[in-house]
Amino acid sequence: MKIALTGNPNSGKTTLFNAITGKIEYVGNWPGVTIAKKEGDVKKALNKGESRIRVVDLPGTYSLSPFTGEESITSEFVKNENPDVIINIVDATNLSRSLFFTTQLLELGIPVIVALNKCDLLHKKGIVIKRAELAEKLGCLVIETASTQGHGLPELIEQARIVYGHQQTAPFPGLNANVKDHAADDRIKHERFAFVEQLVKVVEMRNVASNKQTGQDAADRIIAHRVLGIPIFAAVIYVVFSISQTHVGPLFADYLVGWIDSFYEYVEGLMGADVSPVLSSLLLDGIIGGVGAVMGFLPLIMVLFFLLALLEDSGYMARVAVVMDRYLKRVGLSGKSIIPMVIGTGCAIPGVMATRTIRDDRQRRTTAMLTPFMPCGAKLPVIALFAGVFFSDAAWVGTAMYFVAILIIITGALIVKRITNEGSAKSYFIMELPDYRLPSLKRAFISMISRAKAFIIRAATIILLCNAVVHLMQTFTWSFQVVEPGMENTSILAGIASPFAFLLIPLGFGAWQLAAAAIAGFIAKENVVGVLAVVYSITNFIDTEEFVLLSGAGDVAAVMGLTSVAALAYLMFNLFTPPCFAAIGAMNAEMDSRNWLWAGIGFQFGVGYTVAYFVYQVGTLMTTGNFGAGVIPGLLGVMFIAGVIVFLIRRNDHKSKIELKEAV
Amino acid sequence: MELAVVNNIIKSRYHNKKLSLVSERPNLSEAVINVPYIIKEVNTTDQNMKDFLFTLGCYEGETVTVISVLADNYVISVKDARYSIDKDLARTILV
Repeated sequence: MKIALTGNPNSGKTTLFNAITGKIEYVGNWPGVTIAKKEGDVKKALNKGESRIRVVDLPGTYSLSPFTGEESITSEFVKNENPDVIINIVDATNLSRSLFFTTQLLELGIPVIVALNKCDLLHKKGIVIKRAELAEKLGCLVIETASTQGHGLPELIEQARIVYGHQQTAPFPGLNANVKDHAADDRIKHERFAFVEQLVKVVEMRNVASNKQTGQDAADRIIAHRVLGIPIFAAVIYVVFSISQTHVGPLFADYLVGWIDSFYEYVEGLMGADVSPVLSSLLLDGIIGGVGAVMGFLPLIMVLFFLLALLEDSGYMARVAVVMDRYLKRVGLSGKSIIPMVIGTGCAIPGVMATRTIRDDRQRRTTAMLTPFMPCGAKLPVIALFAGVFFSDAAWVGTAMYFVAILIIITGALIVKRITNEGSAKSYFIMELPDYRLPSLKRAFISMISRAKAFIIRAATIILLCNAVVHLMQTFTWSFQVVEPGMENTSILAGIASPFAFLLIPLGFGAWQLAAAAIAGFIAKENVVGVLAVVYSITNFIDTEEFVLLSGAGDVAAVMGLTSVAALAYLMFNLFTPPCFAAIGAMNAEMDSRNWLWAGIGFQFGVGYTVAYFVYQVGTLMTTGNFGAGVIPGLLGVMFIAGVIVFLIRRNDHKSKIELKEAV
Repeated sequence: MELAVVNNIIKSRYHNKKLSLVSERPNLSEAVINVPYIIKEVNTTDQNMKDFLFTLGCYEGETVTVISVLADNYVISVKDARYSIDKDLARTILV
């Protein structure tokens, strides 16, 4: 038996789906989090029957006539894939809108159960709903649920099994079938809403009219204020970073790194002196060292994910979209573009996929091209490493990276707008503002564990493999001889990375080791940390004082041979060049245009190079009074990039002037 | 010479745009906060947006209240929900 979960955006479908299937799909307190259907089986504990029950979670929609791409997934599914039962999740605090969709569903000839969700909020909002009467008027079962707490879910599943095969009569004879006549269609729509209005009048009593000012509205006026909005956002991100990277995160990280170190020593002792040095070095320095360096940052990242999950649950993110809308609109994007970017802070792939909700082709492609600039979860170890080693764990480094990302996105959008000159296309912004709520610690914990699991799996698979390969390439020369001590430049790795390193001299980090780490970062950004650990034989990036004691060779910064300015340039280069290959794949899918894809990748390279160049050269000038190495060749490179952009803009201006003339 | 012609055209277009602003019909962008208005018409050529607003309950004859003006957005109350809309969209909702 197959159950479809349908309902308005942000009515809690995915939360309910997670609760009845035990899965951990991404949830957030804003509309439009789910963009593709997700499937799972009802948990054994809830399924009293013999056969398994398949549940399909669908993107939220306000009606069966699709408006956006993800809405059409829902209407196509319920119309064409014959679900056995439809569970319609209705936000109990907003019956007057939600039941419009409900009455449409009731006409499909498929048994419908209404889950009256968010019932826990009714009391607080002074709303009373006569459930029995509502069920009678709709002609279907209505069950009160609170999916965030699991209330009413056993009954919901039980009733779904009972109602299987019994369809109801539609309360509103609307003839849902495709009405060709537009006027008739329009009339039916109006009548449907009138019907719902009558119904709601009977079954719902409100103490407070919903259009009266509330404390939430007062909070909005401060949080999304035209002047205060941005500083508040900055402060929130700063607090998140200072807790995760300066205060709580390192506390746990010290323990974890201690364990990794003892594990290293344990394996070392286990192998003894009989194992070939090449093999033992591969295992110890390549695999345990490289993966261990990445894993050491797990606690910092877990704390960060926990805090981000709290934010996502609170309703704050929708306000960030409102604050950002005015800036994004001026550069030819819509406020909706912020949603992919917010999701992109977890991982760029679902972020880029979320651009699907943007209807305008140009806006969607531009957003897909710019979303990967947001620092994702895999880039966090890189940020944490450089903040820790070169800037004594300063929280401003991480915060600054987010704001530099936003600046790059805005500038990038402006450039794309000038090149394509379609920014004049009118796009409206509308977003439902969900209620603020106290974020659930439990949900944040679950979300953190699920993201941590994904991080560990990546570290144990792709990162491990890359580190092993990099270590082997570093160990052998082109003639497959083991590299002689002191002759590190003859290794395969050095051979491959050196030409690239040459190009990076003007950016302040022309060492082949750093180039190799940056290249490995295209496979997965955590690799930057892992490969740096391998090529410099550093396992412990976190407890740097201990490293100094152990190695006696000076601190990590000295081993890498970077000044703070060059380190910052290197960090930004890694953050703002093209993302990993998987994210590029997602860009390809959503852009659906080769030209856009290559232009996007080219642009990302250009940005990474230019930003790193200016950070290094200007920073070096400010700290030492002289420019850094390779200032002139680098300038030529940057001027070339700027030249290409200016050429494209001029060409477009010229073209549009010709068009304008022809139009006259 | 050519350039001057084109620039003049651009200028005149800009001017027209300004003129059209003056003759605007009463819409939500000028609404008084906390006063419920009845929607007269949703005036846009974007039929999709019009249909979408309809499904939210935002159509002629319905009540809408502006709750606050944030940044360049308007927070409106329609049915029992709050939405943030931009000024362009607020202008299309005639009251």
